[in-house]
Amino acid sequence: MLAVGGVVALLAGALSGVFMRQSSVPDGETVLAVTLPDVDGTAQSLAQWRGKLVVVNFWATWCAPCREEMPMFVKAQREHAGAGLQFVGIAVDDAAKARQFAMDIGVNYPNLIGGYGAMELSKALGNTVMALPFTVVVDRNGRIVLTQLGPIKQAQLDQLIKQAL
Amino acid sequence: MPRARAGDSVRPPGPAARASIAAATALVGLALLTADIGAGAAELKLLPPDEAFRFAARALDTRTLEANFSVARGYYLYRDKISFALEPSGTVLDATLPPGKVKDDEFFGRVQTYRDRVVVRLPLPRSAAGESITLRANSQGCADAGVCYPPHTQSVTLAVPAVDGKAGPLVEFQPAKKSWFK
Repeated sequence: MLAVGGVVALLAGALSGVFMRQSSVPDGETVLAVTLPDVDGTAQSLAQWRGKLVVVNFWATWCAPCREEMPMFVKAQREHAGAGLQFVGIAVDDAAKARQFAMDIGVNYPNLIGGYGAMELSKALGNTVMALPFTVVVDRNGRIVLTQLGPIKQAQLDQLIKQAL
Repeated sequence: MPRARAGDSVRPPGPAARASIAAATALVGLALLTADIGAGAAELKLLPPDEAFRFAARALDTRTLEANFSVARGYYLYRDKISFALEPSGTVLDATLPPGKVKDDEFFGRVQTYRDRVVVRLPLPRSAAGESITLRANSQGCADAGVCYPPHTQSVTLAVPAVDGKAGPLVEFQPAKKSWFK
């Protein structure tokens, strides 16, 4: 059933893909089109943060490098939220564990639960080996300005904020 | 103090989430084909998990299997995320894993990891003389480059010898060929 759904989505995607090329919709719109449940089960669309600098971070509790970089995101979110910076976590994990870890380190940005399906999504965004952490940054104009496998460095984040915010 | 139990598996998302992801994935895939995704693609050169963590096994005798992981340099497996089961029954095999290198993990506590190579003996619940049996290995590992792979499974089908005395051939896991339609 999923495979059929995938094919249907693929066809729909093909049509909209042609349309997108003609109307040159920014590439980040495909990221902003994602809707996933948050840790409390409420559906959240990334479109609600359109117009901000959106940092989408794929992570999991079983990924130590992911957990290590998240406090840096918390700090950046606190310092730059007013200027339009928005982190969004997508946990390739179950909701209980993601929620617990987010609470433990005081995560101050939304965390969505993607399960393994989120790995496929990240793969489509360039995460070909499907490892974590993987981060995609969509700028205020809806363009993807960074896709990165592996941890984000502080200097890199600073640069991004300086340039795109 | 560990706050989460290692070895737990990730639950798949519900049908709605799956459908949403499938649609989004297709959209993103096509956007990548049709649009220029410019900036800063991943610089890390990483092996796919089946190459980073090569799995092979053989039947040692009618009641014992031997499994091994060959871990590429710069990668490691978590000891407590390794488990083995028979397919399709799902019978979990009692694996005595050798001690690994202790690593302090602030979330999971003290964990043990394997590098290079790990060999495990797996007693079968009963004699499987002359049978063909499928062994599934579950594992999870990371790369020193700073990424981790999701929990992963690899299966091999083994010919168990009809009588004790001669081990069966070593069978290496071969990843399935890539397909557009899974």
